[in-house]
Amino acid sequence: MQILLYILKRILQTIPLLIIVSIVSFFIIRLSPVDPLAELRLNPSVSKETLQRETERLGLDKPIIVQYGKWAKSFIKGDLGVTSSGELVSAKLKERIPNTLLLTVIVIFLTWVVGVPLGVAAALNWKTPFDRMMTILTSIGMAIPSFFFAVLLLIFAVKTGWFPVGGLTCTNFNELSFGGKVLDLAHHLFLPVLVLFTISLAGLQRQMRANLLDVLDSDYVKFARAKGLSEFKVIYKHALRNAINPMITLLGFEFAGLLSGAALTEYVFQYPGLGRLILEAVLKSDINLVMASLMMGAIMLVLGNLIADILLIITDPRIRDK
Amino acid sequence: MKRIIFGLIILFLLIWGLKSCLHADIPETEQPPVSVIDETHQIIPPPPQKNVTIDGVDYLQSQAPVGKFGGTFIASTIGEGPKTFNPFNSRDNISSLMSDIMYDGLLTTNPYTGEVIPKLAKSFEVNGSEYIIELRRGLKWSDGKPITADDVVFTWRDIVFAGVGNTSVRDSIVIDGELPTVAKIDDYTVKFTTPKPFAPFLRMLSNPIAPKHVFEAAVKKGNAYFDTFLSTNADPKTFVTSGAFRIQEYIPAQRVTFVRNPDYYVINTKDEKLPYLDKLVYLIVGDLNNEVLKFEAKELDIIGLQGANVARFKTLEPHSDFTVYNLGPNTGTMYLTMNLNNRKNEDGKFYVEPKKQIWFRNRNFRRAVDYAIDRDNMVFNIANGLGEPLFTAESLNSIFLNKNLKPYHKDLAKSRELLKQEGFYWDKKDRLFDKYNNRVEFDLYTNAGNTEREAIGVMVKQDLEDLGMKVNFKPVEFNSLVNKLANTLDWDMVIMGLTGSPLEPNSGKNVWHSRGTLHMFNQRLEKDKKDDRFDWEKRLDEIYDKGALAIDFNERKKYYDEYQQIAYDEKPFIYIYSPIVITAIRDKFKNVFPTTLGGATHNIEEIYIDKEGRK
Repeated sequence: MQILLYILKRILQTIPLLIIVSIVSFFIIRLSPVDPLAELRLNPSVSKETLQRETERLGLDKPIIVQYGKWAKSFIKGDLGVTSSGELVSAKLKERIPNTLLLTVIVIFLTWVVGVPLGVAAALNWKTPFDRMMTILTSIGMAIPSFFFAVLLLIFAVKTGWFPVGGLTCTNFNELSFGGKVLDLAHHLFLPVLVLFTISLAGLQRQMRANLLDVLDSDYVKFARAKGLSEFKVIYKHALRNAINPMITLLGFEFAGLLSGAALTEYVFQYPGLGRLILEAVLKSDINLVMASLMMGAIMLVLGNLIADILLIITDPRIRDK
Repeated sequence: MKRIIFGLIILFLLIWGLKSCLHADIPETEQPPVSVIDETHQIIPPPPQKNVTIDGVDYLQSQAPVGKFGGTFIASTIGEGPKTFNPFNSRDNISSLMSDIMYDGLLTTNPYTGEVIPKLAKSFEVNGSEYIIELRRGLKWSDGKPITADDVVFTWRDIVFAGVGNTSVRDSIVIDGELPTVAKIDDYTVKFTTPKPFAPFLRMLSNPIAPKHVFEAAVKKGNAYFDTFLSTNADPKTFVTSGAFRIQEYIPAQRVTFVRNPDYYVINTKDEKLPYLDKLVYLIVGDLNNEVLKFEAKELDIIGLQGANVARFKTLEPHSDFTVYNLGPNTGTMYLTMNLNNRKNEDGKFYVEPKKQIWFRNRNFRRAVDYAIDRDNMVFNIANGLGEPLFTAESLNSIFLNKNLKPYHKDLAKSRELLKQEGFYWDKKDRLFDKYNNRVEFDLYTNAGNTEREAIGVMVKQDLEDLGMKVNFKPVEFNSLVNKLANTLDWDMVIMGLTGSPLEPNSGKNVWHSRGTLHMFNQRLEKDKKDDRFDWEKRLDEIYDKGALAIDFNERKKYYDEYQQIAYDEKPFIYIYSPIVITAIRDKFKNVFPTTLGGATHNIEEIYIDKEGRK
């Protein structure tokens, strides 16, 4: 019951936050000097009448406040509007979200499955050659800029011909058998996953290692050891459970990054995800599409934090009792 | 002591590094990067296509060599892919390209000569302001319904003239506020009548024709519905088309796949129905670099090349499976222009400072600037030798190009003479002053991010500084620049580019007519009612009004020759160069006849694959 009340309170708190986010982003986009019709204006075969009609169609002839009001009204009703070329924003997003989720979910799953145990192992073997080597490797992982790594891998793909150059499926995808489709997807996903995996693995491994080291140094671990508990119990029952708390908060942020975290890598690999769509929308000041993606990002962030907090309540009795 | 020596060494290295930076801005190359232009692959175009009637069906017979059926051709588009597949809604090039593949128009342009030739129409006849079009008999939409005069009348009357969807075609054929009319004579004959003889209308008839039985319901539901009709979300099975290919699938941000129309009306000399290819795929790639990588990884069959890539591909060509074609100068015109505006804005302030107005409105000043520009050097260094210096308002591949206007080279002595004539003088430091003792100094704009224009800007600045002018080169964001050019008008000099039509000079009316929306060099806003045109501007207005009303090509040519002559003499725009279009295509494709007007795949239905035959 108390948890439910807490969740309700949190959701209510997010409403003013979302309103502020929407106002700030709407005004920043509209007040920036990006003119969605600039290309048309410079086309000699476009007449004054056509320009006028386009201005009216996009609602650019009205004051910004009115434009915002119109957008907000339909957003509350669940209508995301249409893009500047007349397609439904919701349909556009629906096309891309599964692709981005496919990529980010695989990456997050892999990094957690590999990163957390590696972090634990490094902490337990503190200052051994294993730990030092992990430190060097993860430092390299954190230091490489993702786009640079992605470009290197692309060149590798071109030179060797082992991997396709970007994209998600090959041209005859629909004629393949189910197994063939899975293999084709895996073939295309390998390089982008590798880039994102390398980058986020490093951070996660360092975080886990530092947390566990902190906890291992604390009094209650010493006490547990002094009590004569087996090393296994000390670490996996007492130390790890305490060390995992900050990781849960981190998981909340990972959730927020599900839809937006891979934009740069998506762009380099020509991956048909949200990143490319939104980049183009921003460049063309396609207001409905940009707003939809920004709001989506904000909601995901709030939701991620909420989930992390709830998970914390479940795992940590200290928070629960307060 | 050690520290001092160390510091000195660092300082020395720093200065040395900076010095080389200063010099490295514009690399001066002595040798042309690669000679692609002089070596062109000889293209021998096939004889023109013929009308052939077999069993009551009027086919169009291709005279190109007979090929083999089957295979896939993979091309690419840069950007985020098509926004719609509805030919009457497309507002961007990629969408138009996609719908043009699926929907044929009545007429088309001969890609080799630029003449108007029949496509869906069997023949056409022009009598002054009347256009009589005879349709091919026995042609079918992809759902088996016949293509008749009703479809043509519906398309033109209920979609184009009614202003449904994208209205740019309609807006361009309004003549003195009146629209042409269309009438059905019999099932296979239609008549168009323009209010006055209006030459550009003929080429407008290449606009696609829509199937009435599919589009009628959508048109009736109103504009808002029509905007979403046949959008990218539409089921490919619902498309009813007339073109050589029909859409099979569209995968957002990845590709569009087309399949051959088995019942197309173009046949080969063995009377087999074309196209040869089973599939035509357009990959949607985000940027140029990725496109090049995809071509190198053999995921693409054709690619347009630019800059340094041309040289690289040219060296790869002899031992690779592709051929590099030179399609000649493109339709773009890159130019430098000055603001000749002498009007005031709403606050009563001049758009251009009065002292600058005197310079810019002086013809000899503009000509002096023109003679100071080193076009050859720019082609050499910026376009990697892949460009042609440009001196005319029409692009170099235009069928209306005035060939009497001769090119010339940079001539500083002539520039100085022209300036001296107008009372300009130089001080001891070789700085230029006008006769009222004002230092000649102005801003030069271009859009930031366009590396080609930025490089031109740097070279123009250097060239004009040779004349003692002070040029403040300011690349600004594209949108701000458009705003300056179209609304605030507070600029001195700008480097921009426009794409024109090589077939119809009237498409430049917005630029050259003194009331046009793109009459940049002397832009008049709605509020500027006073007639303050230069004499040559008046003449240009006349030429544009009369040129469109003349029907005969030679008569029109006379008008448009004169407009180019005026532009050449008065220099409102100082043209710089036209880039050359270079395309690489894999050798396994045969019947490839690239032309400057049609591009590389204008005859997509004739192209076939022959794996054995090499170059």
